[in-house]
Amino acid sequence: MLALSNVVIHFDGKEALNIASLSIKAGEKVAIVGPSGSGKSTLVHHIYELLRPSAALCSQRQGLVENLSVYHNIFMGALNRHSWFYNLINLALPFKQPLNEIGQIMDRLELSCPLTQPTASLSGGQRQRVALGRALFQQQAVFIGDEPFSALDPIMGQRLLAEVLSAHDTVIMVLHDVNMALENFDRIIGLQAGQKILDCPVDELNFETLQDFYQQAGSCQQNLTAEYSSELDLAKNV
Amino acid sequence: MPAQLASFIAKFCFVGYWQKVTLVLWSVACLCFYFADTEIIALDPWHELLLIAKGFITPDFFATEYLLYALWQTVSFALLGCCLALLIGTPLSLVYHKPFVASVCAFIRSIHEIFWALLFLQIFGLSPLTGILAIGLPYGATFARVFSDNLQQAPATTMQTLPHNVDRVSRYIYGKVVHVLVPIKAYIRYRFECALRSSAVLGFVGMPTLGFYLESAFRQGHYQQGAALLMLFIALIGTIPYWGRVKLLPVYFILAIWALPSIPVVDSALIGRFLSQDILPPMLQGQQLQQALSADNFTAVSDLLYECSTWVAGLLYEQALPGVVGMLLLALTALGMSHILAVVGCALSDKRFSGKWLARGNRFLLLILRSVPEYILAFIFMLLLGPSMLPAMLALALHNGALIAYLSLRQADGVEASRHFNGRLDGYAYEVLPVIYPNAMALLFYRFEVILRETAILGMLGVATLGFYIDSNFAEIRFNGALLLMLVAALINIAVDIASRKVLQASLLASNRSGLADVVLNKKALSACQR
Repeated sequence: MLALSNVVIHFDGKEALNIASLSIKAGEKVAIVGPSGSGKSTLVHHIYELLRPSAALCSQRQGLVENLSVYHNIFMGALNRHSWFYNLINLALPFKQPLNEIGQIMDRLELSCPLTQPTASLSGGQRQRVALGRALFQQQAVFIGDEPFSALDPIMGQRLLAEVLSAHDTVIMVLHDVNMALENFDRIIGLQAGQKILDCPVDELNFETLQDFYQQAGSCQQNLTAEYSSELDLAKNV
Repeated sequence: MPAQLASFIAKFCFVGYWQKVTLVLWSVACLCFYFADTEIIALDPWHELLLIAKGFITPDFFATEYLLYALWQTVSFALLGCCLALLIGTPLSLVYHKPFVASVCAFIRSIHEIFWALLFLQIFGLSPLTGILAIGLPYGATFARVFSDNLQQAPATTMQTLPHNVDRVSRYIYGKVVHVLVPIKAYIRYRFECALRSSAVLGFVGMPTLGFYLESAFRQGHYQQGAALLMLFIALIGTIPYWGRVKLLPVYFILAIWALPSIPVVDSALIGRFLSQDILPPMLQGQQLQQALSADNFTAVSDLLYECSTWVAGLLYEQALPGVVGMLLLALTALGMSHILAVVGCALSDKRFSGKWLARGNRFLLLILRSVPEYILAFIFMLLLGPSMLPAMLALALHNGALIAYLSLRQADGVEASRHFNGRLDGYAYEVLPVIYPNAMALLFYRFEVILRETAILGMLGVATLGFYIDSNFAEIRFNGALLLMLVAALINIAVDIASRKVLQASLLASNRSGLADVVLNKKALSACQR
């Protein structure tokens, strides 16, 4: 489905990503892990650009429209399935079918606010789920996520991840939670300073090898970010 | 002696950036006031003032059956003008990034509604078309700019998260337009209020709106009737939030169309003549140039062109130059006066300083002063004080000072005074004024553009600004001269527009560098100040 070779991406003159080769087959569930600033977001955005016609992206920059209702923000995932005329009318007078469908999506995402609520008044966790809802409503075969559960508690994150996995054939996702990656995905890719330093099926990995990977990353980086080490602690405790 | 000098210099160090700006502003204003014509030419202003005051105490709302008709015409011209402006401005905002579109819009914007009305009056006569076009054209150009500015500020992330293959219309609407819908709605509402004022003032050139009846009432000394009209107008503007509901707009729209005076037949020959003959310099109106050109008569052609250039130069020297000087004198004096009025009005309307009731009364006064168009204020002052620059200065200062005071008050209300605030002027000057001053000054300088534009218009009341010369040219049916002067007015407005933006940016930088205050330019206040 996807084969990358010699991808080098620069940001402000700094090398953000340098990957010799990477291939992902259709139907795979791939988690991408690594410390902050290791190029995870850059990688998934690059993949999204390549797979765009058949992929839905749930980005950290949610791109929500503050003035629009939750319903409309989720509906935006379906803009390409309707004519512009339908979309325009739906802006003023929502149609029944998408109303039902989006109501169901909101139930699955455990969003209990009314469909008509303006996005500006939502909490951080609710906003993230609205963005996730928009990606789900695209109904694509491939889901690409950039830490889509970072503002949710781990237990709800686990439930929503199950939703995402069941609704998509292929899933490529950046994750912070190592256990979540080990338990739900087929394959794990580890990035560090823009380089791919880990790429293997989950069965060959366990928590200790992953911890080794992180320590390696840490010794390379000299100083683990505070955010990151606390996450490791959290992962150990779980 | 050196010790004294040193202490003097040390004291001068306390004169900070804003104090210097204020001193410069006042000295420029005083200088301009000295050179401006401020003679009071009135037989007995106090008597007339007494009569006007009496009229306001006993307004006569039943003197004329035209009262409601005039009000409704004012609303309908404003409404239809705004609709036309939206029709023009919305599509233009999509292509506003093209330099050609932007400069055409800047040019259209820089000519005041009244000048447009004067121009269309020659073509369409006293037809509703004149009024609607006069409002719709410049407002449309303004909408184009403001909408496109707003659209540019819409966050780009939404576009990135949209699915693949979304058609262009949906992409644009959902990705951009919905982001800016709320500020744009607020802006349209504000412009509608401006359109109401413009529509009323259009009555002074003959449209059947409020200004027409106001002018005739005041000119004939029917102050009770005039006062009633003015009060109704202020009430109309003050109650827009109650009657100006979006849901009611279609109803108003149909009513406005229905109530329009019938459109007289437009004589196309007249328009043709106007465009092909009347607006050309006098020596080019006949067939002389064509004849000379076809006969290859070089000397005749060069003679004609020389004549033409002397005509232009004469007009520029004899009318445009004094007009522009008059405009600058008037605008700068009015700027200084607005400043004083804004600061004083702001202090007197602060309830921590002047007490609850005085503050409320003052706020009401400020509301009235900013609701009445400068033009109408100037007209009334001119009846009292005679035709000099003084009435125009007072009118501009009162209207703009009140507006700036109102906007600054909104900021001042949010300023928390310390627990030991003493409720006196010194306490106010230490705790509240320094916070609101930079913002008030920024608003004042923003307002300068508007003041300058308005000075041109006040010329039509007889003040020696460009508007006076434009109006006299129209009155003497010298359309060519009028158009040339309008062009000069437009160019000056564009130049000031560009210059003021640069000066403001520079002064913002300077004030930040001096560490006195961060000028937090309240976006809403600024958009309320852009005309």
